[in-house]
Amino acid sequence: MRVTHQVIQRSTLGNLRTNLIAMSELQAKLSSGKSINKASDDPAGAAHSLKLRSDYSAAVQQQRNADDGVGWLSTIDSALTSATAALRQARDLTVQGGNSGALSQSSREALAQEIEGVRDAMLDFANTKYLNRSVFAGTSNAATAFDAATYTYNGSTGSSVERQVAADTTIRADSPGGSVFGTGTGSVFALLDTIASDLRAGNDVSGHLNEIDTHMQNMLGEVASVGARYSRMLDAQNETADRQVKLKGQLSAIEDVDLASVIVEMQMQEVAYQGALGATAKVLQPTLLDFLR
Amino acid sequence: MASTFSGIGTALSSLMAQRAALDVAGQNVANANTVGYTRQRTETQSVGGVGRASMFSGGTGVGNGVQVVSITRLGDIFLTNRLRTDTSSSGMLAARAAVYEGLESTIAEPSTTGVSASLQSFWAGWQDVGNNTSDQAARRVLLEQGTAVASQIATGYRGVQTQWSQLRTQTEALVTEVNTTAQSIANLNEQIRNIGVGGGSTNELQDQRDQLVLKMSELVGATATVNADGTMDVMVDGNPLVSGVGARSLVLEGGASMSTGATDPPRLRWSTGTAVSLAGGTLAGNLAALAPASSGGILQSAAAQYDTLAQTLAASVNALHATGYTAAGAAGGDFFTFSDPSLPPALGLTVAITDPAGVAASNSNAAGNELDGSVAAAIGKLGASDTGPDAVWQAFVVDVGVKSASAADRSKVSEAARTTSESLWLSATSVDLDEESVNMLAFQRAYEGAARVLTAVDEMLDTLINKTGVVGR
Repeated sequence: MRVTHQVIQRSTLGNLRTNLIAMSELQAKLSSGKSINKASDDPAGAAHSLKLRSDYSAAVQQQRNADDGVGWLSTIDSALTSATAALRQARDLTVQGGNSGALSQSSREALAQEIEGVRDAMLDFANTKYLNRSVFAGTSNAATAFDAATYTYNGSTGSSVERQVAADTTIRADSPGGSVFGTGTGSVFALLDTIASDLRAGNDVSGHLNEIDTHMQNMLGEVASVGARYSRMLDAQNETADRQVKLKGQLSAIEDVDLASVIVEMQMQEVAYQGALGATAKVLQPTLLDFLR
Repeated sequence: MASTFSGIGTALSSLMAQRAALDVAGQNVANANTVGYTRQRTETQSVGGVGRASMFSGGTGVGNGVQVVSITRLGDIFLTNRLRTDTSSSGMLAARAAVYEGLESTIAEPSTTGVSASLQSFWAGWQDVGNNTSDQAARRVLLEQGTAVASQIATGYRGVQTQWSQLRTQTEALVTEVNTTAQSIANLNEQIRNIGVGGGSTNELQDQRDQLVLKMSELVGATATVNADGTMDVMVDGNPLVSGVGARSLVLEGGASMSTGATDPPRLRWSTGTAVSLAGGTLAGNLAALAPASSGGILQSAAAQYDTLAQTLAASVNALHATGYTAAGAAGGDFFTFSDPSLPPALGLTVAITDPAGVAASNSNAAGNELDGSVAAAIGKLGASDTGPDAVWQAFVVDVGVKSASAADRSKVSEAARTTSESLWLSATSVDLDEESVNMLAFQRAYEGAARVLTAVDEMLDTLINKTGVVGR
């Protein structure tokens, strides 16, 4: 092949340009920190990256769901624990009121008032709200879960409040107030009212202890169930957080540049570029004209 | 017997020939960096002795010097043709790669700001509404996110539209350039023919013409053949664009906007009406990119994908939303709607609901289900669906990525082939300064030698004329 200065010029220029393009690609990687800036940089990687990004944002949302569920269940848990304690207190008072012979009318009146106080407290617990939603009212939009006068349960019975914590897992976040506290005349509040009026009337109230125990069993059963769901919800919270970290790691492995290797490549490219520049300066200078006198 | 003075004539012919050769070397050196210049060489020939008139008039048989036969242009028709072919395919592939690159820049994925990201916030918005159905703020945020997704899709679609129109305008300009170039080639053909008939040198005009033909190869994949009279025919799609001293012209017709271009694709025809189908060149790449989706047009396909995305999004969200009920117990109806049926779906997609209370999150209108969020939660799960909008979008992005990467690779490979052809062509045609320097040296020495011959002959004659017959004087 015949080689002329123009051929050398062109090929040197071409090589310099190739070097410079490689440098600019490495610069782009280094400065953006990403090895995939557009899908064509690595189509397979981009497919993974898009999927991982959507999985990641789903995990973030599921953690928000779990956080919300933890809020609901912890509210329910503390309300139920307090309600159980209050009912236990009412049971003690009832036992006390059962010693019918030893009590004066004024003592009975005092016990009755105390029991009514417990009823009010329990009604408050049963109407506990979280973010302006009655936690015992399910999906209903009733102002309170239990009517303060008739003790009617206003909440929903069939449907429940569920929180999605994984792709195919939901956890119930509410508590069925109707079955925990009873409704209307069958409710624990009505029972306490009956006990208070029996005390005032001088009737024997020890017969109501069994009914209190039945309600107590209902509530304790629900406390256990809520506790179990609460712990599942906490697990889900941790699991979604772990999943986010894992997905972030995978995403980073696909998208982010290996800094060390890019810097080394960059250095090598710089050496190559400088070499090319040096060669260009040397090659293009001399011609025969330099030596003809 | 040669004439007494024939030596002077011989020396003179050499002086003239060497000077002519030096002039050509000078022209070569002067154009060492001229783009498209093909080096030239002075072809010389020795002049034979005078023919013998008769058997006995024998002479020495010495020749009568040298003469310049021609100034040859040292081009290589095969390398030039190869360069044209490679330039034409690299022009087409480069145009394709450029369209894909532009498309990818409007898609802007993977990123935290693209369609994918706004879809994900949209799904998260549904789950938030599902978590807290009584919260008006969450519902408002959801409506805004719905609008954001719709406008993001519309922006992407408009990006494709803009790219289509720009490409159409560029193609129009290129067609004009092709036509004017064809006319210039025809004009050069005429000059070359006229000068050639008169025996003049047309080397520089041929260089110009080759440059123009190379440009035609890049634009429309033209090929060329040289005729006996020195003119050059430029062929496009098997028909002459330039034939001798006449040029025809190409016309670009078809829709001027993406919507009209879908049914009336931009295409080339001869000014006489016959359709032209290009096999190479930038125009071929551009026209292929502008073609309708059914014939694989890159941009129309991308626009169709945006439409599919908008339709899938609306259909999947609406299907679930219609099963839901608002807090007031009203049936959900459509969440998304296509406001203006004359617009493409990607541009027409809007959120149908304006009142936040109109978002249907509950699965039943029975009492006690007012704050149910299961429908909202179900819509929020669409993001993970294998056939949902996210999947449609991801498949599209990856498809464009794969095709763009392969287009870029093919373009790179064909550009490398073109560079190789170019350097082969350059190595044959470009000026080598060393070679010219050596030639100049040789011509100079030969000139000096001829001058010395002249001096010697002169001195000989001086001896004969002035110093002969003066013995004893």
